[in-house]
Amino acid sequence: MEILTTKKDDVLTVSLTGRLDTTTSPQLDEELKKSLDGIRELTMDLEGLEYISSAGLRILLSTQKTMNQQGTMKLINVSSMVMDVFEVTGFSDILTIE
Amino acid sequence: MNEVQGKLIGEQYVIKLSGHIDSGNASAVEKAVLELIGQEPGRAIHIDADQLDYISSAGLRVILHLRKTHPELVISNVKPDVYEIFEMTGFTQMMTIEKAYRVVSVEGCEEIGRGANGTIYRIDQDNVVKVYNNADALSEIQHEREVARTALVLGIPTAISYDVVRVGESYGSVFELLNAKSFSKLLETEPDKMDWCVREYVELLKRIHGTVVPEGELPDMKETVLKWAEFMKDHLPEKAGEKLLSMVKAVPYDDHMIHGDYHTKNVELVGDEVLLIDMDTLAVGHPVFELASMYNAFIGFSEMDHEIIKQFQGFDFETSKLFWNKVLALYLGTDDENTIRQVEDKARIVGYTRLIRRLIRRHGMETEEGRSQIEFWKSELLELLDRTDSLIFAKNELQLEATKENLQTVMDFVEINLEEACCPAKTQMQILMAVEEIFVNIANYAYAPGTGMAVVRVEVKRDPGVAMITFMDQGVPYDPLKKPDPDVALPAEEREIGGLGIFLVKKTMDEMTYEYKDAQNVLKIRKDF
Repeated sequence: MEILTTKKDDVLTVSLTGRLDTTTSPQLDEELKKSLDGIRELTMDLEGLEYISSAGLRILLSTQKTMNQQGTMKLINVSSMVMDVFEVTGFSDILTIE
Repeated sequence: MNEVQGKLIGEQYVIKLSGHIDSGNASAVEKAVLELIGQEPGRAIHIDADQLDYISSAGLRVILHLRKTHPELVISNVKPDVYEIFEMTGFTQMMTIEKAYRVVSVEGCEEIGRGANGTIYRIDQDNVVKVYNNADALSEIQHEREVARTALVLGIPTAISYDVVRVGESYGSVFELLNAKSFSKLLETEPDKMDWCVREYVELLKRIHGTVVPEGELPDMKETVLKWAEFMKDHLPEKAGEKLLSMVKAVPYDDHMIHGDYHTKNVELVGDEVLLIDMDTLAVGHPVFELASMYNAFIGFSEMDHEIIKQFQGFDFETSKLFWNKVLALYLGTDDENTIRQVEDKARIVGYTRLIRRLIRRHGMETEEGRSQIEFWKSELLELLDRTDSLIFAKNELQLEATKENLQTVMDFVEINLEEACCPAKTQMQILMAVEEIFVNIANYAYAPGTGMAVVRVEVKRDPGVAMITFMDQGVPYDPLKKPDPDVALPAEEREIGGLGIFLVKKTMDEMTYEYKDAQNVLKIRKDF
C-alpha cells in the first residue's frame, strides 16, 4: 500500500493506494500516529484504495475517535467496494463520506 | 596368443586379457596388444579383465606402456584378487580401474516394475534388481542413486540401491524390498482395494508435490518439456506449434518435486508402508507435467489399443481409466466434472506432445501403424490446443501454518482459484475479505499462544458461479457464528474497535456454516456469483 500525506498548517490529506488489510494497516496506523498531532482538518482520499478489511476499519474508527476530539475528518473518492463495506458495518453513518 | 583378444565394440576397441600375465609372457602379450591396436589406429581402448587371474609387475609395465600412447585407457571387470594388486601398486589412483560386478540372472524372475529406462525384477524374497535398458548404464545408475538419496533426505519414502551387478549384457542395481507388492498387482488381484489404493496413491503424490527441493538438486522438468514443444513445431501447423511452445513457456518455475513416471508399478506396498521406486526421472516442476506422464501411463499409451495397458500394468483399460479418474478427482479435491476435465486437457496436451515426439524419434513415421497412431494423437492435440489457453491449473488445497505471515500466501492462493473461474472483481474482493477475516482469526486465536496448521480448500464452479471455501484447524473449538453481532447503529464514540471481522463475513457471504468434527474446527463460506 502507498500512503501519501500532504500537510499544510493544521490541514492534513492522506491518500491511500492499494489494499488496506491485516498486512498493511499497521503501516497506516504508524503514519497517522506520527502526523495527527495538532491537525484540525483531516481528509482521507480513498480513490486508489481497492480493498479494505476489518483491520482497516479499525484504524478508520480509531482515527475518527481521535479527530472527534480535535477537529473534523472526511473521506473522499470512496470506491463502490469500499462503500459496500462501510454500509454493511454501519460505518457510513459514523464517518463523513463525500 | 590366447591371453589377448581384441574386439571393436561401438567406437571403442576392447582388449580382453585372460589367465596369468607375468615375466614369462609379458613381452609376448605386449607385442600382441600392439599388433591389435595397430589395426585400429586412433581409437580409444578399453581393457576387459573379466578373465584375468593374475598380473605381475612385468604385466603392469605393459599397462604403463599402453597408457603412454592411450592416456584415456580404462580397465574394467577386474576380479577381486587382481584389483588388490592394482590397488597395492597405486594403479587405481592413477587410472580408471573398475571392479568386476556380481552377476545376477533374472531368468524366470517376476517383473514387478517398469520405467522409462529399465525393468525391475524380484530376485529373491528380500531383493529386487533394476535392469537398465542401456548397456552402458553406469552413469545412469549413479544419477538414480543420487536423486533417490536426495528424495529420501527430503522425506520421500523410497529404496536406495546398495549394489551394482551385471545382468547379461546390461547393468543392474539391487535394492532391498521385502515382500513388496506393486499397486498394479494390487489393482489386478484385489479390485476391492481400488479406493484404498486411490487414497494412498494420491497421498503420496501430494507428498511428493508438496516437497520443496533446494535449487539445483534436481533437473527442471520445464526445460525437458520445452524441448518436446520445440520438436513439435516441425510437426504441427505453424500457429498450433507456436501456441504449444508459448503455453509451455508460460508455466512458471516451480521448485516442488515431481516423480516424472508416477504410475502404479512404481508405487510399492511394503508391509504397511507405501514406497516410491524408479527414481531416475525425478525433477522439479509444475504438477501439470506429472499429470501428463500419468495420463500417458494410464490412458495415452493404450488409447488406440487397449491391450497395451494389460501387458504393461496387468489390469485392463477400464480399470485403468476408472483409477485415473478417481485419482484425478481426489488429487484436485473436487467432484466437479468440468474442473477435472479441464485439468485433464492440460495434462493431455503435454502428454500427447511427448508421445508423438517419442514415436517419431522411434521411426514411427516409417510404418503404417506408427503413422496412424501419430495422426490420432496429433488430431487430439490440435483439438485440445484449440480449446485450451493455459497449462497452469490451481491446486485447490493449501496446508500451512496459521500465522499472519502466511496470510498473503492464502490470499494469493484463493485469488488464483477465483481468477481461473472468471469470478467478477467485486465478488473476488468480498471473498478475499472474508478469507482474510477468517484466517486472521485462526492465526490469532486457534492455537494461542502457540501456532498450528490450517487447511484452506477452495472449490469454485462456473455457470452458475459458486465459490466454496473451507477452513480447517485443530485448535480450540470455537464457533464464530455464536458471537453476537456488533451494534452497527451506535455512534463512533460508543463503537468498540474490533469485533467487525466475522460480522462482515456473515453480511457479505451467502452462507456460513460451522461444525466441530474429528477434533477439527470446520468453517465453510459460500458465495454465489
